[in-house]
Amino acid sequence: MIVTLHLIVLALYGLATALVLAPFTGLRASPSASPPSRSRRALVIAFPCAGAAVHVVAISQLTLVGLGPALSMLALCLVLLQLASERLLRGSAVSFFAAPSATGLVGLALLSGLTPSAEAIAARNIWFVLHVALSVLGLALLALAFIAAALYLLQFRELKARRFGQVFQLFPPLERLDQLNRFALVAGFPALTLGVLLALGYGAQFSGGLHVAKAQVVWGLFTWVVLGWAVWVRVVRHWAGRRAALASIAGFGAVLLVYVALKLTQPGAERFL
Amino acid sequence: MTGQTETGLKVVGVNHRTAPLDVRERFAHGAHEVPRALARVMAAGASGGVLLSTCNRTEFYLVADDEPALEAVWSLLGERLPVAPAGGAREYGYIARDRDAVRHLYRVSAGLDSMILGESQIQGQVREAWEASRAQAGPVLHRLFQTALHVGSRVRTETGLGMGTASAASAGVAVAGKIFGDLAGRSALILGAGDMAELAATCLSDQGVQITLVANRTQERARAIAERLGARAVSLDEAWPHFATTDIALCSTAAPHAVVTWERVGAVIGGGARRGRPLCILDLAVPRDVDPALAQLENVFLYDVDDLQTVAAQATARRRDEIPAAERIVEEETDLFWAWYGGLGVVPAIKELRQRMDDLRATELERALRQLGHLSPEDRARVEQFSQILLNKFLHQPTIALKTAAEAGRGYGLLEALRRLFGMEPPE
Repeated sequence: MIVTLHLIVLALYGLATALVLAPFTGLRASPSASPPSRSRRALVIAFPCAGAAVHVVAISQLTLVGLGPALSMLALCLVLLQLASERLLRGSAVSFFAAPSATGLVGLALLSGLTPSAEAIAARNIWFVLHVALSVLGLALLALAFIAAALYLLQFRELKARRFGQVFQLFPPLERLDQLNRFALVAGFPALTLGVLLALGYGAQFSGGLHVAKAQVVWGLFTWVVLGWAVWVRVVRHWAGRRAALASIAGFGAVLLVYVALKLTQPGAERFL
Repeated sequence: MTGQTETGLKVVGVNHRTAPLDVRERFAHGAHEVPRALARVMAAGASGGVLLSTCNRTEFYLVADDEPALEAVWSLLGERLPVAPAGGAREYGYIARDRDAVRHLYRVSAGLDSMILGESQIQGQVREAWEASRAQAGPVLHRLFQTALHVGSRVRTETGLGMGTASAASAGVAVAGKIFGDLAGRSALILGAGDMAELAATCLSDQGVQITLVANRTQERARAIAERLGARAVSLDEAWPHFATTDIALCSTAAPHAVVTWERVGAVIGGGARRGRPLCILDLAVPRDVDPALAQLENVFLYDVDDLQTVAAQATARRRDEIPAAERIVEEETDLFWAWYGGLGVVPAIKELRQRMDDLRATELERALRQLGHLSPEDRARVEQFSQILLNKFLHQPTIALKTAAEAGRGYGLLEALRRLFGMEPPE
């Protein structure tokens, strides 16, 4: 049942991805406010909405332990944040990145397996659930900050180069992307930090100490410092615009890079990290 | 455009296709001039009139006979020309009658007849013209203008004719919007005090942008524009330090070379006062006012007329695709108006006329029969029958003429004549 629901979610997110990327692949020549385009926009919202609804049902039946369920939850958070920012930015282009990312994450979740072992399930308690929820929310917010920063840089480049094509037409204004980036970064960093602290507390309290490799600690600290720097320059140094977008991309890039590297060196689907 | 000469709907005037700008400027009427101009045309026989005067058109919408009222319009416009051409003002103008006149106004209101296809400003101008001429419009033109506004709204809602930004000035607003998002509360300074500067500044102001300064070589014109926009007029040299704080700089001077140079504003824009805040510079001047080197500053977004026309052209191309859909709406609404106009009050008018005539017949018959008391009942019946037949014969031709005219959509003119001839009250 869980797998079937995830397959439906995958199909709906996949359709949303195809729709949002259509203007860039020549499937639809030019975006416009004419009636066909309005129905396209409605579908761009309807598919992820339907997908998220099915996804919520799937997640409610899922035990949030291990890589697969964590990726699935991350995808759901990303889609929900995308829908919220669509509303916030009135026709945002966050879906250009969020829709394919969510599709990919659900695909990876299916490949990783969605049913954790009985041992892992037994170890679950409220600390653990909070740790997972906050960490995933933090990661999704940082991903959103990354997306907003990437959109900002693309729109910035087009505006500076005086090109008035699809990016100019479809992407939101620089100022709004900057605001979205700031919000997501400033909210995502403490959420992720708290999630990690809860993991440490959980480990110390219930698992008889921390079961993490030194590499995880070192590189985890490294990404935390990079992310912290990105937040610091935004909040304390009042960076904005292009520089802030680059800092945000560096922060999330570090998270992504380190995660992939650690996963490659310590493979396995039992744990998210 | 048809050539009938009966009383009916007419539009007579000039527009951007038929008259050059200097002629249109002379023909343009301010709101305060409208009542007097209309009074003059109505004194020449028009029973209703609305004057639509914008920078691109001056049009009199009339319910009138052809010759005297139209002559009055041409003469009124001709007087505004310093040197009239041989044919007078009519050499620059056109006349549309009846159904064509209706269709013309609907196309105008929809933006199909505008210099910038689908522009929305015209709808407000149609409304203002109607309101300014309200006292003189009369029922038919009231209905015509009311429906014209409806047609304009329908076209803009149901088609994409109004989408995008189709003028350089509005393209500037769109580009600034892509940088700042909501423009309300942003600040702008204007360099130059020509028509283009004023138009673009008005577009910005309409979006809630606060125009802070109008800088120009000559202060007089700058002051006039600044007053209208709630800004301060300054000299060009006084404007340079304000580049440190403004969000948008709109440049449209008539200078033969760049006036916004690196030397004058480079340090101000790149300095610490801006803290990297973006500055959108819209250079609408030809030759350009702004040194292109300023675009190298990271926080400067510089656009010249070519850039803005590229944005406008994209919108115009998309709008052209919407013309057939817009024309269909215009045609549909023209049919509806024409059906209303054609049959306007014909049936009740015929009824009223017959009733009046019959009352008259009955009164006169009674009086006559009182004087002819010696007649037998059979003879009295015969006289009454005679009066009835005579009345029917008299009314037969006018009734047929009215019905035929109504079916051809030309009933209103005859009705007017009928009401005047028989002293009938116009309907509420």
